[in-house]
Amino acid sequence: MPEARGCSVSELAIRRGVAPALAVERLSYAYPRAAAAALLDVSLEVAPGEFVLLAGRSASGKSTLLRAACGLVPHFHGGEVAGRVEVAGLDAIAAGPGELAAAVGYVAQDPETQVVSTTVAAEIELPLEMRGDGPGDRARAVEEVALALAIPHLLGRAVDTLSGGELQRVALAAALVTRPRLVLLDEPTSQLDPVSGDELIWLLRRLNEEWGVAVVLAEHRLERCLPAADRVVAVEAGRIGFDGAPREFLGWTRQMDPTLATPAARLFSLAGVEPLPVGVRDARRMLGEGGAPRAATAVPHPGKGLSGEISPPSRLSLLRKREKDPRALEAKGLWVELDSGGGPRDVLRGVDLTVAPGERVALMGRNGAGKSTLLRTAAGLIDPVAGRVAAERMALLTQNPGDFLVRERVGDELPGEAGIAALRAVGMEHAVDADPRDLSGGERQRLALAIALAGRLDGESVPGLVALDEPTRGMDRGRKDDLVALVDRLAAQGAAVVIATHDVEFAAEYAQRVVLLGDGVVIADGPSAEILSGGWYFATEVARVLDVPGVVTPEQGAAHLAAPASDFSGHIDHESSEAPEGRR
Amino acid sequence: MRSPFAYISRRGPLQSARPGAAVAYLGALVVVAFLYSSPVVLLAAGLAACLAGRLAGARSAVRAALRMGFALALLIVVVNGLVVDRGETVLARLGHLPILGQVDITLEAIVAGVSIGLRAAVTMIAFGVYSACVDPDRVLRALRPIAARSALTATLVSRLVPVAAADAGRLRDAARLRGPGAAAVGRGALARRLLAGSLDRAVDVAATLELRGYSLRGPRGRRRREPSRYDARFYAVAAVVLAAAILGKAAGADDFHPYPTVHVGLGPATLAVCAVVLASGLAPWRGLRRQRSGRRHDERPQGRRSAGRRAEVPRSEATADAGGAGVLRV
Repeated sequence: MPEARGCSVSELAIRRGVAPALAVERLSYAYPRAAAAALLDVSLEVAPGEFVLLAGRSASGKSTLLRAACGLVPHFHGGEVAGRVEVAGLDAIAAGPGELAAAVGYVAQDPETQVVSTTVAAEIELPLEMRGDGPGDRARAVEEVALALAIPHLLGRAVDTLSGGELQRVALAAALVTRPRLVLLDEPTSQLDPVSGDELIWLLRRLNEEWGVAVVLAEHRLERCLPAADRVVAVEAGRIGFDGAPREFLGWTRQMDPTLATPAARLFSLAGVEPLPVGVRDARRMLGEGGAPRAATAVPHPGKGLSGEISPPSRLSLLRKREKDPRALEAKGLWVELDSGGGPRDVLRGVDLTVAPGERVALMGRNGAGKSTLLRTAAGLIDPVAGRVAAERMALLTQNPGDFLVRERVGDELPGEAGIAALRAVGMEHAVDADPRDLSGGERQRLALAIALAGRLDGESVPGLVALDEPTRGMDRGRKDDLVALVDRLAAQGAAVVIATHDVEFAAEYAQRVVLLGDGVVIADGPSAEILSGGWYFATEVARVLDVPGVVTPEQGAAHLAAPASDFSGHIDHESSEAPEGRR
Repeated sequence: MRSPFAYISRRGPLQSARPGAAVAYLGALVVVAFLYSSPVVLLAAGLAACLAGRLAGARSAVRAALRMGFALALLIVVVNGLVVDRGETVLARLGHLPILGQVDITLEAIVAGVSIGLRAAVTMIAFGVYSACVDPDRVLRALRPIAARSALTATLVSRLVPVAAADAGRLRDAARLRGPGAAAVGRGALARRLLAGSLDRAVDVAATLELRGYSLRGPRGRRRREPSRYDARFYAVAAVVLAAAILGKAAGADDFHPYPTVHVGLGPATLAVCAVVLASGLAPWRGLRRQRSGRRHDERPQGRRSAGRRAEVPRSEATADAGGAGVLRV
């Protein structure tokens, strides 16, 4: 905020780093017509330059707390509020989001709804224009924030030509361009691939350190953010359940809410190693110093076994074995070309893929690698330009389950015997009379899947292919476990299940096999334990800590640490179709 | 799914020009369409608008506008042919029809309908080129000091239209993916669902505008003067077209009478106006050297696959890893 516009004393104090960037005192809030309060007696203080991670289950109140800090609650959403919220010396409840715009930046989960201009440059410049900055100041600020976020090449682009990761960076740039003292982020990495997600977190850390911006970040994938955080605040049912250092938080999760523990912390807990590690680097250092069984130092890669010998790519053996088996999905030399307005381009380039009935496959790769396009082509939504694809009675659940729900009663969506059978297949037969809008996020997802399955069942069995596109976005671990159980149930009923996901921990839990796409081609295909321990970005946290081929889950890791080195025989069984032992 | 009329940032004279210059240029063609009834002049105006769009790189917009414009023109021709019984050349006698009464289809009524339809088509093509080539952000910035609330509404609409188009595409896909045992989804149900979703979207976008400080009553920042070396060209072409249109009208260039028998004049004045209007379509031309170097970005890839069917791109995949290839900064 320029001096010329007249800063208050408190604003000047904030600029000198005296007052807290955010002070919440005994805040209680209930949305209009809500049965229960979203926040209850919340008190919190964030110092200037602090990096705070907000943890908690879905619907625990994290997003509401962030909205209160930027003035959207209660100004935009209405409802009943009590207590006090002060942002950079301004009373947020009295001032509202417009007045707070110069002091606080807010980035929400869905980047689609956070851009209001047509081009990137205009989007970033808008808050400055609203504030009354001159053309020269605006041009410089836009250039600087674009450089800081490494997006100067995007400035002339139209926003609807950007990828999710690029759009999220643009939203962050628009939030930072006024140089706020506090930036609030609500699950900003939920739609990003592991590479883009990690980049965004470390970008935030760099801005936090170099610009002194206080950051409050709400996230479910804590393993990604914990090493960057100075402090963790856990929200439980609208109340602050924990407020302290990251390492203490991990100790708290063990006692109070194990679903919030990171994979590395679960690994250490299971192996009885203390203290719990905050991140991969911390865990590696502690394993090295503490005399605990040390991880292998060799850098593994797909195709490399425990012995260090290079084995033939397991994909070939798998394909050879299954050549005469029944197939739920078969793609041969599949080419798909799409046109996003800037001319056609190849999204899939000669993909060969076979999935057997009952197989659980994770389809992974960075944003734009072709995962969704492959599933959509298999489902008949897109015509290939070359090659062929055949899917046996395929049911595809797209990224937004809400798109399937158009009626006000579950029974109206799924009438008759076929509908009841589909509801039974996903464990939702009890909700025939419910309004889909009253269901929880997980239940809505199950209902959408039942709609896709209806009429494709064979009695009580689910033959063919069930595909889910990014089903774990915004899910906490409890809901992911429910989804894993559902996938197990469908696979047990005979269906092949293919899930496109960025979530490596989830893939390690449910998948037998991982297919990694890169720029429209299959770059790796093999048992999940092999693929997810054979890289850096597409590897689980446990795999990155232990660096042992085939060890991807905390349970496997703990077994590895507990066993004498000579006894460990956790080799990768290329022919096995069993899920990772840890889950069982 | 991207609308063919959505603005795409390209390097070109029409895109680089200030909104006022672009509006003046394309507006001049629309003025010609409303000033004249002669199908020859209207055809010239339509060709000029198409040429301008092609040279500006807005091929999809021109194609879509042509499709819509001709559909509308056809409708007008049919309606005019049915309801107007003037004219001496009767092509068909349909007898007595309910509501319409005695219906005689005359050549004159059809030609008059063609004239009105061409006018509508020219307007649609010009608007399509405007939509695809003029940056709406620059237009809104220009409007904001004059009418802040209207600019806010226009901002929301310009943002929500492509978002709603993408939502509609997703909903259609979901409807296709429903199992055969699920209740069928009609257009009405989809429209209701889209409307409900659009309202949610609008609330989210409005919240973002609030967070950007749109509601502040403080002084708005002065507009940055964005230089363009093409403004003079478009203003000059607009002035020439308007002058030629007005002078031609005065000199009897609009020599067209559909009734009682069709008369389409092709005198020197008419041909001169046609030539000027047609030549105005070359205004967005970049010149030979630049055209050649710029073509690299516009050309479709050759080969066996480019002959195949192309699918509409899903938003999530299409935009991912675009990496800026072929997209240039203005």
